[in-house]
Amino acid sequence: MLRLLKTALAATAGLTISAGALMAGPYDDYAGTTLVVNFPAHPHYNAVMQILPEFTKETGIEVEVDQLPYLKMRERQTLELGQDEGEYDLIAYVVFSKADYVYADQLENLARYFMNPKLADPNYDADDLIDGYVYNIGFAGGNKGYLEGKTGSLFGIPYGSETSILGYRKDIFEKHGLEVPETYDELLEIACKIPELEPGMGGLSSRAASGHHASHAFLLHLAPLGGRIFDDQWNPIVNNEAGLAAANALKTIVDCGPEGAASFGFGEALGSFLNGDTAMFLDTTVVAGQIDDPAKSKVVGKVGWALHPMGVRRGSQTGGFGIGIPKNAENKEAAFLLMQWLTSKTGDKLVALAGGNPSRFSTHADPEVNAKFPHMATFGEALKHADPDWRPIIPVWGKINADLGTTLSKVLTEDLDIQEALDGVADRTRALMDEAGYYTWN
Amino acid sequence: MAETRHDRRNDGQHPAFYALLAALIFMSVGPIALMFVNSFKLDVDIISGTSGLLFLPTIQNYQTALCDILWFELEHLDFCALKFGGAFINSLIITLISTVLTLVIGCMAAYALVRFKFMGRDTASLTTLMVRMVPPAVLLVPVFGLWNNEFCIGKETLVGEWIRDTFGGRGDVCLAGTHAGIILIYVAMNLPFVIWILQSFIVQVPRQLEEAARMDGASPYQVFFLVVLPLIKPGLAAAAIFTFRIAWNEYLLASALSDRNTKTVPILIVNNMSEFNVEWGVIMATGMLLAIPPIIFTLLASRQIITGMTAGAVKG
Amino acid sequence: MRTAALNRLTPYVFMAPAAVVMIIALLYPLLYMVYGSFRDWDPSQTISETDFVGFRNYITLFYDPSFRESLSVTLRFAFAVVTVEMVLGVGLALLLDRKIRGMSVLRTLFILPMMIAPVVVGLMWRYMYHPTVGTFNRFLKSLGLDGVDWLGQHALLSVIIADIWQWTPFIFILSLAALQSLPQSALEAARIDGATGWQQIWHIKIPLMMPVLIVTCLLRLIDAFKVLEVILVMTEGGPGLSTEILALRISRTATEFRELGVAAAMSNYLLILLLVLTAAMFGYTKIQEARAARLRAAAEKDV
Repeated sequence: MLRLLKTALAATAGLTISAGALMAGPYDDYAGTTLVVNFPAHPHYNAVMQILPEFTKETGIEVEVDQLPYLKMRERQTLELGQDEGEYDLIAYVVFSKADYVYADQLENLARYFMNPKLADPNYDADDLIDGYVYNIGFAGGNKGYLEGKTGSLFGIPYGSETSILGYRKDIFEKHGLEVPETYDELLEIACKIPELEPGMGGLSSRAASGHHASHAFLLHLAPLGGRIFDDQWNPIVNNEAGLAAANALKTIVDCGPEGAASFGFGEALGSFLNGDTAMFLDTTVVAGQIDDPAKSKVVGKVGWALHPMGVRRGSQTGGFGIGIPKNAENKEAAFLLMQWLTSKTGDKLVALAGGNPSRFSTHADPEVNAKFPHMATFGEALKHADPDWRPIIPVWGKINADLGTTLSKVLTEDLDIQEALDGVADRTRALMDEAGYYTWN
Repeated sequence: MAETRHDRRNDGQHPAFYALLAALIFMSVGPIALMFVNSFKLDVDIISGTSGLLFLPTIQNYQTALCDILWFELEHLDFCALKFGGAFINSLIITLISTVLTLVIGCMAAYALVRFKFMGRDTASLTTLMVRMVPPAVLLVPVFGLWNNEFCIGKETLVGEWIRDTFGGRGDVCLAGTHAGIILIYVAMNLPFVIWILQSFIVQVPRQLEEAARMDGASPYQVFFLVVLPLIKPGLAAAAIFTFRIAWNEYLLASALSDRNTKTVPILIVNNMSEFNVEWGVIMATGMLLAIPPIIFTLLASRQIITGMTAGAVKG
Repeated sequence: MRTAALNRLTPYVFMAPAAVVMIIALLYPLLYMVYGSFRDWDPSQTISETDFVGFRNYITLFYDPSFRESLSVTLRFAFAVVTVEMVLGVGLALLLDRKIRGMSVLRTLFILPMMIAPVVVGLMWRYMYHPTVGTFNRFLKSLGLDGVDWLGQHALLSVIIADIWQWTPFIFILSLAALQSLPQSALEAARIDGATGWQQIWHIKIPLMMPVLIVTCLLRLIDAFKVLEVILVMTEGGPGLSTEILALRISRTATEFRELGVAAAMSNYLLILLLVLTAAMFGYTKIQEARAARLRAAAEKDV
């Protein structure tokens, strides 16, 4: 795997050296600059770490990376972006941070950079970026403030696009003649059938730990089952029938899941799938690399991939990270060059080959990438069904998310009544939204 | 039962008594031993449950942890994600300096509180006692705000400019993100405890010794440094170990105050429990590395530790 | 003349460094916190940019069910660990108070757990409690029993057990020291009078140890409110809020929810709680001390 990557790197390096000899390159002014960037500890950005030396070789721009777990990273950024002069030149942000940062006027509008002929690469081909993600992660100020719309503009570029996908054990499904679930009814049925067929094995490993994890797992089921957190007037509708169905689905999955599932974070959920303790895994696409890594996984070669099952509609997760330039950065132009390089066709392909999650249509269709990662075609298909309104990306979401997460965790561990729990969430959400001014125009 | 109680000075004990002792030792050392053993296993071995001692020990986890200070590149790593070496050095700097400072400042204050009558002594004594109970979590918010925003030197001022020219970095020079910032809060947090312990040792120094020295013409400072300090060495050792332990192990405040260059080991360990990949082997190895200095201290100086612990409660 | 002035200044010179450090880094921050608790304060603002909101933070918290639950978790945790540790620690001290070869080695091994970083203790126990790969469940399964959902349904209990593991030795060591410094005469007298083991323990040893036990108990209680890292690493406060002690909630409110004002108000509630507890314990100590003095006098008279 490394060898292949190195050949690819050598090839690109050769190209740029010959091109650079001919004319003064766009990077010359910035050679020798050191960029300080803040990336999450995350499989995609681990792949990025592997291709960064290539960027330095090509441009002469040094990159110093501060890698943090993503919730920590957000805390750090809150602090850094609030200063008059910040340490970071380029940051990766979790999709739901977009609202906070843009609203607090802490991210650069990218228009100025894409307009600058000295900086913008004419071959960048922005149309090749997957639309849903550009709007979901990079765009702000459109419809509802966070969706595509005529009033919006671009503040970041998606990098590390994730969606949800169903991984299943081909050997187990074959052994018992099970069909890969297409709908939610089938999914839940199989999830609870597996512990009967294979004693000691859980159906589907899902994250469910208190807080962000539980909330995330709930959202995974909410969109396909036709639910939303808010209606179009910002009224909380999380406690309607669809919400109830999603919470029930989560409870069923956890009950039929592996032992201790109610306290699983993402790591534990993935761990039990890697260890062969469960037959299915329904979560983000970033896990593919680890599932194929024999040092971490006991199920190499046994896992098949399918689209996130349908409830009343297709609605897989939109999530992942974007990269943007803080308003208080020191080397904004060099940071833009790095951002452009990383998200360019070359950069996207390199990172895909190193095990990252590409954000371009062309990379998903690339034969070389597909040859190395056969699942890439399915992942590309899944990205098309990604639901841009999967969660509301508004500044108060952090609090709602935390409340939803702890309340659902109580449903899972303390047998709190689901309707009662969701009603409570809806009430508290309404109060929060009222305080934040969302009902001013009603 | 009745017999064993009476022969207190006898070595002959009931076998059940030794069983109890063995069980206690097993319980207190077992988890540590377990971590030690696991730090030499590959993740696959830990997860698949090759239990007991039947495994091939590997130092790969330690290599992964220390990759930033190893002089050779590691085959099994694509890049060095954990910067344990750097964090270890930060931990050392912060812990050693704050321990020394706390001890010097603390024993001076303890001496003053025990030996002199002066205005405000009772207030000082009471305040010291009261702030001992303040949990670090309570300090989190104000320290975060002050260290980041108030305790700063403008970068236009002479000192600020000099610091920025010499050490680099951007913006106003604030305490947050520096070693000094973390050291200051550790010294402050540990002082009440150190003063409290040392008081009980200083009280025991015979007054006559000090008075004799004074008669020979020594100043109060000479008395303190040449007569009192040597006599309370065991107390100083105990206080040093406790200060060291708190500064070395502290997580919460360090995580709020440190930046990427001043991270300490506990922060690194918590960060490394990243949700995407629980690498038990490496985590156990980093945990072991963090635990080794306190374990060594305990084995070397358990007597001082126990005196220190009992000094305040039993004698005071 | 000059030396006299210098001598009069001596105590202040000795006190000055400690006073300066503690005022700058403890007392001023505490005042700052009280001030901040009356403000609507976001981490990206300096405190001068914040708005005064009166008692709003305190009132919000008072009616906030999550805060109340967190408070109750904190109290349950603190009282559970202190009670169990006191009983176990004192019990072990009474049992092991005899001349054994290698007692010092034993004590050394016992204090190891509390010298190790809470972060490391947390991760050790998190591993041992792990539902599938953890030591406990593997052991249970090897006996043919069902595994226990340690950090799920029994999270608070699991966290309490870990704390008991770490801190019982503290109480054991202190009680042992207290036991060994008891006046031998009183014990001898009781023995001659034919007091049984239990009578000696209940009527002589425990009352005489009382002052030390109370201080020990108070120290443990204060420390129990400081626990944070062990729980953070083991459960992050979950599931639900079942292990979210106040210290953890303060830290989450400040960093995750970004409400420094509310976190400051919460810190104040915690401080007040600790003050009340300390004061109560001190009052109780005074009463007990008087009683112990009477008892001691009585015991001496018997001789």
